Amino acid sequence: MKAFIERYFKGDKYIWGIVLFLSFASLLAVYSSTGTLAYKYQGGNTEYYILKHFAIILMGFGIMYAAHRARYTFYSGISLIAIVIAVPLLIITLFAGTNLNEASRWITLPVLNLSFQTSDLAKVALILFLARSLSHKQDNIKDFKSAFLPMIIPVILICGLILPSNFSTAAVIFMTAVVLMFIGRVSSKYILMLFATGFAGLALFIGIAYLTKYDGRIKTWQNRIENHISGDEKESYQTQQAKIAIATGGIIGKGPGSSTQRNFLPHPYSDFIYAIIIEEYGLAGGLLVLFMYLALFYRVIMIVRKTSRAFATFIAIGCGFSLVFQALINMAVAVSLFPVTGQPLPMLSMGGTSIWFTSLAIGILLSVSRETEKTEGGEVATVAT
Amino acid sequence: MSDLKKDIFRRVLFVFSGFCLLAVLIVWKIVSLQFYEGEYWSQRSQELTIKFETTEPVRGSIFSDNGSLLSASVPVFNIYIDFTAEKFKDKKIDSKLDSLSGSLSAMFKDRTPSEYRRILAAGKYRGYEYYLLKRNVSYKQLKAMRQLPVFRHGRYKGGLIAEQKTRREKPFRWLAERTLGFKSNQKDQRSVGLEAAYHDELKGVSGWRVMQKIAGGIYKPLRNEGEVEPKDGRDIISTINVNLQDVAENSLHYHLKLHNAQSGCVVLMEVSTGEIKAIANLTRGNDGNYRESYNIAVGHCTEPGSTFKLPALMAAFEDNKKLPDDSVDTGNGIYYWIPGKPMKDSHEGGYGKISVQRSFEVSSNIGVSKIINQAYAGNPMEFVTRLRNMHVDTRLNLQIQGEGRAFILDTSSNYWGKTALPYMSIGYSVKMTPLQTLTFYNAVANNGKMVKPMFVKEIREQGKTVKIFEPEVISDAICSPATLRMAQQMLEGVVTKGTASDLFKGCQYTVAGKTGTARINQQGAGYEVDGIKKYQASFVGYFPADKPKYSCIVVFYEPGAGQFYASKVAAPVFRELADKIYSTNLELHQELKPDAAIIAGNFPQFKKGRSQPTKVVSNHLNLKITDVISDEWIAVKKDKNEIKTFPLGYTSGMVPDVTGMGLRDALLLLENYGIAVQAAGKGKVISQSLQAGSRISPGSQIQLTLN
Repeated sequence: MKAFIERYFKGDKYIWGIVLFLSFASLLAVYSSTGTLAYKYQGGNTEYYILKHFAIILMGFGIMYAAHRARYTFYSGISLIAIVIAVPLLIITLFAGTNLNEASRWITLPVLNLSFQTSDLAKVALILFLARSLSHKQDNIKDFKSAFLPMIIPVILICGLILPSNFSTAAVIFMTAVVLMFIGRVSSKYILMLFATGFAGLALFIGIAYLTKYDGRIKTWQNRIENHISGDEKESYQTQQAKIAIATGGIIGKGPGSSTQRNFLPHPYSDFIYAIIIEEYGLAGGLLVLFMYLALFYRVIMIVRKTSRAFATFIAIGCGFSLVFQALINMAVAVSLFPVTGQPLPMLSMGGTSIWFTSLAIGILLSVSRETEKTEGGEVATVAT
Repeated sequence: MSDLKKDIFRRVLFVFSGFCLLAVLIVWKIVSLQFYEGEYWSQRSQELTIKFETTEPVRGSIFSDNGSLLSASVPVFNIYIDFTAEKFKDKKIDSKLDSLSGSLSAMFKDRTPSEYRRILAAGKYRGYEYYLLKRNVSYKQLKAMRQLPVFRHGRYKGGLIAEQKTRREKPFRWLAERTLGFKSNQKDQRSVGLEAAYHDELKGVSGWRVMQKIAGGIYKPLRNEGEVEPKDGRDIISTINVNLQDVAENSLHYHLKLHNAQSGCVVLMEVSTGEIKAIANLTRGNDGNYRESYNIAVGHCTEPGSTFKLPALMAAFEDNKKLPDDSVDTGNGIYYWIPGKPMKDSHEGGYGKISVQRSFEVSSNIGVSKIINQAYAGNPMEFVTRLRNMHVDTRLNLQIQGEGRAFILDTSSNYWGKTALPYMSIGYSVKMTPLQTLTFYNAVANNGKMVKPMFVKEIREQGKTVKIFEPEVISDAICSPATLRMAQQMLEGVVTKGTASDLFKGCQYTVAGKTGTARINQQGAGYEVDGIKKYQASFVGYFPADKPKYSCIVVFYEPGAGQFYASKVAAPVFRELADKIYSTNLELHQELKPDAAIIAGNFPQFKKGRSQPTKVVSNHLNLKITDVISDEWIAVKKDKNEIKTFPLGYTSGMVPDVTGMGLRDALLLLENYGIAVQAAGKGKVISQSLQAGSRISPGSQIQLTLN
């Protein structure tokens, strides 16, 4: 058995373990929190969503497995192609995407009849692209024209295309890019410049939106931020309900499936799943989940420590950071540290294709860790080349 | 580790420490929510997820005297559509909406299928989640709606939302509608009738319970948090008899239309108890249709006219001023109490010198007014006091509100003048409601005992009697027995030889009563405005005259079809109602002695049929029938002076000859033989489609023609 696992499941064992744990936790939390949805759309058939979710997680494991079997250098090769695919898709989505909550974020693939959020694809593509660029240009990384400019153009392009429909995802991708550049030793002067560009872009967008009366999303942002700042009185309904969930959870929680707040919280299975976890499993359960994400990033650091390849470092940091960063943001929103955004909790929230892109990112991470394990054994060979 | 790698690694650790800091903040926030704000949020959770709900009791029902429902609360539904429901996104939805529109149109008949189609299409296009389709749908209709295309998928998929309410329904619709009344929820709106008067009994007591929100936005009751069950309202058993009410209402309606009257009312009262068995009030609306829009009998106080002659003359008898046999000179039918304003009798040329009794029977205004003037001119107040002592103007304090105030002019009034006494005696300068007049006449019928009109006789709770209303006596004797006897004789005289004699000719029961045709004082402007005189025609009386069981008043206001005499306008309604009561009330029937001569002379017709019933009937008629040969199925024939039965001689397996039989016997016989029967016509069987005596095969059918 052990031999079987070691033969087919390569890469960091801890990461595999964390992913298994989170998937299991996901099944429990999603089953508990989809009751309302099941009553609303499936006539009370509560098994419908959990079976669907289970199937999606299984497919996610398939993607993860396939991705981790590939050599990580393969991802360097496809990074440009990915960008070339992602950008037009983003443009199509922006103008012709499926409208959900007044925001076009989804695109339906014509043949497969599968709708997915194009920003998920763009995120992975951008991480791969930046990792490649940073590793290639490590020697003249401080140069503006040859190194910095080619890197930031796709960043600005992608974030700019996502921004109108989804501020928080654009911000997460932007932050991932900034952090990658920081770790990739891009001059802090340029990074500050990038920040400035980002803010300027945001200001420009809001200005245009006001002038053209296209203010659907901006109103939403405005309300959310105002609600968050102005405190209890004007507190939004979902924040109140999330707070109740957390406060009534106590140290060990109400027990699996005993949440009452799932009936009041909008999207308890995605945006606010962390609040439901705390309600059912208490502070203890919440801490454990939080610890798992930190542990995941800790394992990423361990991979980075072992590898001597720049591309391996950047690709691992990129995948690990974006995932854990998004998780922390989701949790910060759930405990109402941050204003409400629509970021799902990676690996835990219900939601089809975003789980698969998360799986892909973890698969790439595992692929890197698989290579480092291999090179540890055959260090001589590396040196020889 | 190279410098480059070290630099990168330092930066990675920097990012990790940033993560750790954020994680610490998250943990701190959780801890503070749980420990510092915990109590506040648990309390909020109670408020937000748990609610108190008052549970409404079911309002009590109003029943008729024999237990028919007159007014009850029934559930009705408001129908909403959620156009965002799954089935509205179906690919084949368009054709389904077509058939749905057709069904809705056929069910409610309020819109055409294409109108419904447009509504549904617009709702779907706009994506309404809570579109009001129809109000006040009955449970039966709702059940049918749940079978329709799209809707049959239920609330979440089919988008059919039904919200329950209760509505007050009167199963007999406009029968006694105003007396049953209604209770309005709005404060500024009037509530009338029994619904208003007995609201406190009917309404019940609200309960409450604690509800917790569960999946699907539904609330479930939390039983352990305490619950007070609502107490349903009590039921009211009224005195109204549905059958009599039906006759009263329909007869009144028919005659109101016939005479094109403005309004009218009829009240039927049980003499000994004062129970109101029927009360109908109809007023012509702006659209020309008659409706129960005002309780005329209870509230409409007018000058009664000639029906007031009874209390007037009774006062004179009681005060020993006059006797029925005294005489009075009515002259030539015209008399001037004051110059220029003649008092006339309806009979042209006058009645000359007649008795007091006769002047009442023919309703002579001059006669009665002269009698009273002679009797009381010296002391008019004595007359007023006598009337009051006879409870003519006593307030009845009815069980329902809105009683009009009776009025008798007295000498202290500024309006008192020389003509007051004579005109009061014939029913002017006094005001009474129809129900007050009836109550007085009822007292005369009830041997002087005046009972209060009663609308409710019992209150029940969960089918158990909690209160019984006994008849309330206003006065044990309104006058002396001698006066009473004279009054009754005069009333009988009106019907046998007076103003109402035409109408009650050939009546199988005896009636006592008085007609009253009065001119209406038109809003105080006088009895003749711009040459138009308006009349009020009434008839009040009781029956059977010798043993009074019911009293009744009928009043018509402003009959407009040329006919205004009480005997022609109002009395027929009385008669129709009395006929109905007589025909359905065996106890009122006088025994009819079989007339032997009729039977001997006329041999009754016998149909062919079974022997046993034939003999039972014959014995009742004192007919002697002898059997020739005894058999179950017989024909009866007269043989010389004897009546004999002859066997029909049917044999099983053969089609019997049923010609000459009634349908009931023919059916029994043929179906026992296993033949399916179809019949047309009525009377006796004159032909049958299967030959008598032919063999019966299984599944045979026969066609009978009757005439």
